[in-house]
Amino acid sequence: MEKSLEVRNLKLHYFTSRGAVKALDDISFDLYKGETLGVVGESGCGKTTLGTALLNMPTPPGKIVGGNIIMNGQDLLTLSESQYRRDVRWEKISMVFQGAMNCLTPVYTIYNQMMETIQYHRDMEKSEADARIRKYINLVGLSDDVLRRYPHELSGGMKQRIVIATGLFLEPNVVICDEPTTALDVVVQAQIINLLKELKKELSLSFIFITHDLATEAEVADRIMVMYAGKVAEIGSNEEIFGAAGPMHPYTKKLLVATPRLHERVDKLAFIPGVPPDLLDPPTGCRFYPRCSEVMPKCSQEEPPITEVSPGHKVACWRCA
Amino acid sequence: MKTSIAKKTSTGTNGKRFKGQLAALWNEFKRFKYGMVGLALFMIFVLIVIFEPLIIPFKETGTRWRDITYWQDNPVNAAPAWTNWFSAKDKTPQETLKATNIVKQEEPSADMTFIDAEIHYNYKYDDPPTDMAFRATVMGDVSFMLSLVRPDGIEIPLFDTYTSSSTPNDFRVSFNSDALDNIFEFATQHEDPTASFIYNKSTLNAMNVLFSKAQYGILDNPEPLKGEYVFKITAATIGSGDVSNLRIEVAGKVFGILGTDNAKRDLWSGIICGTKWALLIGLSTSLISVFIGVLYGVVSAYFGGVVDMIMMRIFEIVNSMPLLPIIIVMSAIFKPNLWTMIILMCLFFWTGSVRTVRSMGLQIKEETYIEAARALNASNGRIIFKHMLPQLIPYSFASMALSVPGAILYESTISLLGLGDATIVTWGQILQGASSGGAVLHGLWWWVVPPGVCMALMGMTFAFIGFAMDTILNPKLRTR
Amino acid sequence: MYWKYVLRRLLQSILTYVVIIFIYSALFNTVMEATLRSQINEQLQGEMMSFAKSGLSAEELKEHFDNRKEHLYEIYHLNDPIPSRIFWRAIDTLTLNFGNASNIRSATGSSDVMEIIVEKIPNTLLLFLTAAVIDVIVGIVLGLKKAQKPNKRMDRWTSILTMVVYGLPTWWLGMVMIMLFSYVIPIFPSGGVHNVPPPEGGLAYFLDMLYHLALPVLVLVIVGFWGRAYLIRNIVLGTLQEDFIMSARARGLSERRVLFGHTLRTAAPPIVTMALMSLLASISGGLIYEGIFSWPGMGNLYWIAVQQNDIPVLMGNLALTTALYLMGLVVLDLIYGLLDPRIKVGGKA
Repeated sequence: MEKSLEVRNLKLHYFTSRGAVKALDDISFDLYKGETLGVVGESGCGKTTLGTALLNMPTPPGKIVGGNIIMNGQDLLTLSESQYRRDVRWEKISMVFQGAMNCLTPVYTIYNQMMETIQYHRDMEKSEADARIRKYINLVGLSDDVLRRYPHELSGGMKQRIVIATGLFLEPNVVICDEPTTALDVVVQAQIINLLKELKKELSLSFIFITHDLATEAEVADRIMVMYAGKVAEIGSNEEIFGAAGPMHPYTKKLLVATPRLHERVDKLAFIPGVPPDLLDPPTGCRFYPRCSEVMPKCSQEEPPITEVSPGHKVACWRCA
Repeated sequence: MKTSIAKKTSTGTNGKRFKGQLAALWNEFKRFKYGMVGLALFMIFVLIVIFEPLIIPFKETGTRWRDITYWQDNPVNAAPAWTNWFSAKDKTPQETLKATNIVKQEEPSADMTFIDAEIHYNYKYDDPPTDMAFRATVMGDVSFMLSLVRPDGIEIPLFDTYTSSSTPNDFRVSFNSDALDNIFEFATQHEDPTASFIYNKSTLNAMNVLFSKAQYGILDNPEPLKGEYVFKITAATIGSGDVSNLRIEVAGKVFGILGTDNAKRDLWSGIICGTKWALLIGLSTSLISVFIGVLYGVVSAYFGGVVDMIMMRIFEIVNSMPLLPIIIVMSAIFKPNLWTMIILMCLFFWTGSVRTVRSMGLQIKEETYIEAARALNASNGRIIFKHMLPQLIPYSFASMALSVPGAILYESTISLLGLGDATIVTWGQILQGASSGGAVLHGLWWWVVPPGVCMALMGMTFAFIGFAMDTILNPKLRTR
Repeated sequence: MYWKYVLRRLLQSILTYVVIIFIYSALFNTVMEATLRSQINEQLQGEMMSFAKSGLSAEELKEHFDNRKEHLYEIYHLNDPIPSRIFWRAIDTLTLNFGNASNIRSATGSSDVMEIIVEKIPNTLLLFLTAAVIDVIVGIVLGLKKAQKPNKRMDRWTSILTMVVYGLPTWWLGMVMIMLFSYVIPIFPSGGVHNVPPPEGGLAYFLDMLYHLALPVLVLVIVGFWGRAYLIRNIVLGTLQEDFIMSARARGLSERRVLFGHTLRTAAPPIVTMALMSLLASISGGLIYEGIFSWPGMGNLYWIAVQQNDIPVLMGNLALTTALYLMGLVVLDLIYGLLDPRIKVGGKA
């Protein structure tokens, strides 16, 4: 399969007054054309940071300190800021943000903002741009009417759809969705998920779908990447992670167990004891070892390598090495 | 039982919370260098107020600012003494010359006592004094005769006068008032006759003549005569009269640390005295008005509904009144003193913090511990005072600090118009004197500049403190 | 939606104004009436003088005098109980019937208070509007620069300067500058709007006015723009941290576009509010400032009225100043509403 994106050894640190927080520590993965890669993990594991890193827009005081982001054979990180702005952002990689509530500038109409984005990137005739905007607004299930509205006049669900439309309408290679449904109620959530699934089919774009909600992930993702404390724990296909055989990494296992099932009776909620490590000074060895139930002595001494237990299924665990 | 539980939770959690907040605030504050500078300046001002009696040469400035006799020996509109360092011409400084060689001679037959004395003056300056005053403490009937022996040998009789008083009295004769005839005659004797026509007693610069070479040009273009001047005093007392403490006060061309104004007042003393009023007015106005404003905002937010609506309407009405014109009109009509002025200012200043406090109060109201307190049957007053207000204290500090300069400014504006409290000296009043005394016109910078600089410094002090606190407390200003 | 807002604001401020005028009336009733009575007396004296020649007897004259006095007192409600008197004084003020000045006269020699005051308004506006415009422009430029590199050296030092001038009385600085540049080094005129007599001809007149405008505006701007820059910096910084700014950047928009099109435009309502508020504050607080420069505006009129104890002018000026102030507040709110679509267009669809 053709690769949309290759990320190799990506490192991002937040340089705070207390020291460097290693938010992304040696992240590597591939994204294939037309597939949805789900990225899951606890809060603070680096999921959103990954999103902003791919756009080369780390939140200050963050800085990318190493690694490659390869698209069409070119390492995007070698580009200058203005090149990145012109050629990559929204052209090749776009992002649908978390909490779209506040992602649209309150003083301009939707139409204005979308038109502005198109005109910044493409040399289109106004009529052509207009048609493109309307096409995508309709695609996400909204009527043309919303175009002349201001953001505050719209509901959360509508805004989320607009943000999705904006992320798609330049038809970039990669669309990063960062918790697109977290801020919405379940009914709207279901609508958005269905919408994304349809769009995926129709537009054959590659998605990176970031969320902490395993259930949603299981719905939309073709392949799943589990992150923990700035590192990749496990990457596998939907079937490999959620299927009957179950995942390989102890953390992933625990995650699945901790998700309550709708039709099972639960006397006690399962949880993972402890807290994620402080990324200012992470523990030596495997970052999960303090909370792992399958821990071995080796785990606290050396970082586990990434082992490919079956084609496409990678695990970072000594038990699988 | 219920109330005791309520007591425990409130002091337990809120007392600690409060102390913790203060400690955290102080830690944050220390990081801002300019905030610490502000604090240091504030300490200096406080020290000035405390040590005021020691710093000022004229101890009774506060009470006798408008008493012309207190300042009579000073020169009019004199520049500060240290300007002498920078001027080409050496200017005469302020001095008190004591009498020497006092010889008493009794003449019992006439029931009189004759006292001869000398006052030596080593004059080495280019610019003569503005005036000289002969002073003594007399009792009974006394007559004085004063003459001057100049370095060039010429003796000029100055004046011949008489006084009588039953109690020890301070006697003063100013040369510029009483010696003019004699000095003028001396001048015309030595001046070009054609030139002296245009001069008369009133246009005469007596001091210039007295201390200049006896030659043509003594009236319009004098050359200084430096050397040893001896003033000869002959006093005669009748009966039980007595004379003591003979001296001559030299009103220099330059005076003091900050010079004098047109009423001969020492400006350094005036300005130092004004410090305490500035601090008092600024701090009390801001304290009272911020307290009222915060309370108002919290109460309005807490009770909500109709109460809130009415309170906010009242707030809008007061807020829509243009502050300065009203204060001026009220001062013009009601002529306030210091305290009524402070109250007047507070009547309008309180609106400053209300909006912000009210929105903060609305947020706090939604917190669960307020609900909990209500559930525990705590009274409204208790909730407001023990739970809501303490959280607003840091903001109140910032607000207070930032409103001090405004209060000082308003007081000085009222004083500038002549509407201030006439029993005290404030920086604004000194400026009022400058404005009406033509200081600007004549370039008397030592009168105009220092009061404003002091106001600016005090404003700066509180601005430093207030801005530092504001930056800490305003979350949007945290740059990531 | 917007029109409802406009209407509401207007009604609100009219109501507020009426209440304030009643408060003024109550506060200053005694003084206003004393003046009124003495003015009536004067008028009657004048009338009596002309009657004296008509050959009436002393008693008849006195009777006539008393009748007239009663009559006038009736008209002005001076015999009514206090609340009624306050009411009628307020009505007078509200109907812009300010009466006649005691001492002051207008440029045309009229003693009509309204005329005296109104002819001064353009001067006040000229001075403070000019300064405000320059202030705000410089403030925006500086504030934006500060917000782009927050807490770096330039930002820190300009903030310190802001604090240094925080307590500086502008009128004092005016005094110092006049002393320096009008007397010690005579470059600028020491006051007034024009030379006396003013030069003939459009251009010369205009240039002369500019010449007189220069120093006052300069001093206002020197002290003023720091505060504007600081506030604008804060507002812009706050806006820059919003999600939609990051979103705009992520969409690849140029930094310039993000700064001006998105940040500044969103921050426009609070910035405009601040600019207008400070204009209002400087006008209503500019009394002394005008006085120092002998600038014949409304503020200076206060000073003169206080010194000459001309109560009618004082009261009329106060009423008009309040009216202008309130109008300014309303305009402020309306502009804010125009700039912020959340108000202009209203709530959810």
